[in-house]
Amino acid sequence: MLTLSELRVVRGEGTTGRHEVYLPHLELASGDMLAIVGPSGCGKSTLLEALGLLLQPSALGRYVLGPSATDLAALLQVENESALARIRSRELGFLLQNGGLLPFLNVRDNISLPRRLLGLPASSERVHHACAILGLEPLLDKRPGALSIGERQRTAFVRAMAHEPRLLLADEPTAALDPQAGEVLFGLILSLVQELDMAALVVSHDRTLVNQFGLPRLIATLTSGGSRFEPEP
Amino acid sequence: MSQSLSPSRSGRTALILQLAVQDLWHDRQVSLCIAAALVAVIAPLLLLFGLKHGVVSQLQRELLDDPRNLEIRMLTSGSYDENWLDEVRALPGVSFAIGQTRSLNTQADLLRDRQHFLNGIELIPSAAGDPLLSNQTDYPQGTGIVLSEPAARRLEVSVGDRLTLAASRRLEGRQERGRLQVEVIGVIAAARFPRPAAFVELPLLIELERFRDGHASSLLGIEHGTQRDDYPVRFARARIFASEGDAVAGIVEALEAQRIETASRLAEIDNVRAINRVLGLIFGVIAITALVGCLASMAGAFMANIDRKRREYAVLRLLGFQRPAVAAFVAAQVGLLTLLGFIIGLGLFALGSAVFNRALATSHMAAGVVSHITPAHALIALALTLGVALLVAIIGVVRAFGIQPAESLREA
Repeated sequence: MLTLSELRVVRGEGTTGRHEVYLPHLELASGDMLAIVGPSGCGKSTLLEALGLLLQPSALGRYVLGPSATDLAALLQVENESALARIRSRELGFLLQNGGLLPFLNVRDNISLPRRLLGLPASSERVHHACAILGLEPLLDKRPGALSIGERQRTAFVRAMAHEPRLLLADEPTAALDPQAGEVLFGLILSLVQELDMAALVVSHDRTLVNQFGLPRLIATLTSGGSRFEPEP
Repeated sequence: MSQSLSPSRSGRTALILQLAVQDLWHDRQVSLCIAAALVAVIAPLLLLFGLKHGVVSQLQRELLDDPRNLEIRMLTSGSYDENWLDEVRALPGVSFAIGQTRSLNTQADLLRDRQHFLNGIELIPSAAGDPLLSNQTDYPQGTGIVLSEPAARRLEVSVGDRLTLAASRRLEGRQERGRLQVEVIGVIAAARFPRPAAFVELPLLIELERFRDGHASSLLGIEHGTQRDDYPVRFARARIFASEGDAVAGIVEALEAQRIETASRLAEIDNVRAINRVLGLIFGVIAITALVGCLASMAGAFMANIDRKRREYAVLRLLGFQRPAVAAFVAAQVGLLTLLGFIIGLGLFALGSAVFNRALATSHMAAGVVSHITPAHALIALALTLGVALLVAIIGVVRAFGIQPAESLREA
């Protein structure tokens, strides 16, 4: 489903500011949800941006998503922006810390936007299902400004999976929520990811939450020039 | 990947346009402020231009409505032949030229009955194409004459009435009076010619001159006198008209090169041109100042708007909209607000113009002046406005181009 090797991303410049994020190997299967954990500033978000094809890595061995043999490493190498944007809009779903909803669209239109961008029908069975489970149905005609933070994050999650991407990338999706709401959202994400056969990478520094759901972890260890991410043994 | 997953280009364009409209509507207060900045420039400029255009075209209409403004009158008399007249007719800008006899012979008496007569009325040679008679159906021919309104009024005649044209001479100690029955075939307004006068065909005027010079004239009923068939036709001066105001100066110059003194309304024509030039300059300076200010204000508002919505643009990019799509999003918003501003501006112009025109209609000072623009002016104004919009869009697009999709992930 996802195979990646030898990813290096350099952040900052100079001898003191330079920080290299290194991921030797990553393998994800459908239904897998992996938590990326580590101390603040270790480069969790940087890793997520690189995996999300948003950052130009300084080195990348191999990056393959799904059954297609397209080597994303090559596209990143030549900075083929339009091809990367196409893959991003089709294969990846992003769940942002602040939701990242468009304030001028109501919940329904926010959710359908990734699908319409791909020329898909505005809604699908899976979207209906997710909206029902997450309790979004009464909110469909509201704008994000009228929602609570928890409702916004649930909407953002449905938008991230609406076009049925292979990989969901979530950046601290529960950070703005109170512990109870965070726990509910986390559980919903996990169950839907498994139900819909996606793979998910979730950045989180909430150890209790990660432990509670027994997620496998990708742990950062600080090295001299940066940090190294390795799956928990 | 399957092709069916890619929406058509038109579908994507429609989606971008729809998002742009929804964003404008969501932010309608800010949108209205930006459009208002445009309205605040367009409406007063259109009003100012409408007035300027109204004043200048009224002045020009006054000039052109009165053919006397196109006349070049010769002050000095000479002796000119038909060839010279042909040369004058060939001068650039001459629309009409006709010879005139010596000034003493351009007078005659017109009589209707004992109570109604005019002695020593001015006779003016005329022919087809005479600008003074331009709104007449018939030109003087044979015994048909056209009277000026003051002459017709004093004689109490109208079209179709018959009169006697009479001229006296003293030949060999005898007083003789030649008479000719003429018919009034037209009357021209006093505004065209304020003195009592009769427009006659040139051969009749020449016949009168010859009669006064002592020739026999069967036309005038006097068979007594000298007969000289080789009598050459010479003109003392000519009536000359220019085809348009701008041609008068050239004709005056050509005649003065022949040492012919002239009188014309050149000064008035130059006045109108000078007024047009000065008003044009004033309007141009005001328009440029206002447009530059409008450009700066709109560009500033849009840049602030784009900065404010940086995160939204980043999210659009993150979802897979590419740079051209974001550029189209910004350009569509600029274009829509500009069109909105232009339409409101045009509406306000129509309102303001109506107010002006009501006030002007009751003012004697400004009789005939109306605030007014032509469709061509409106199109030029639209083109200028869209030009401003294009610059604003370019500035906005340059700003929006730098927004990276990754910015949506980072904290504000």
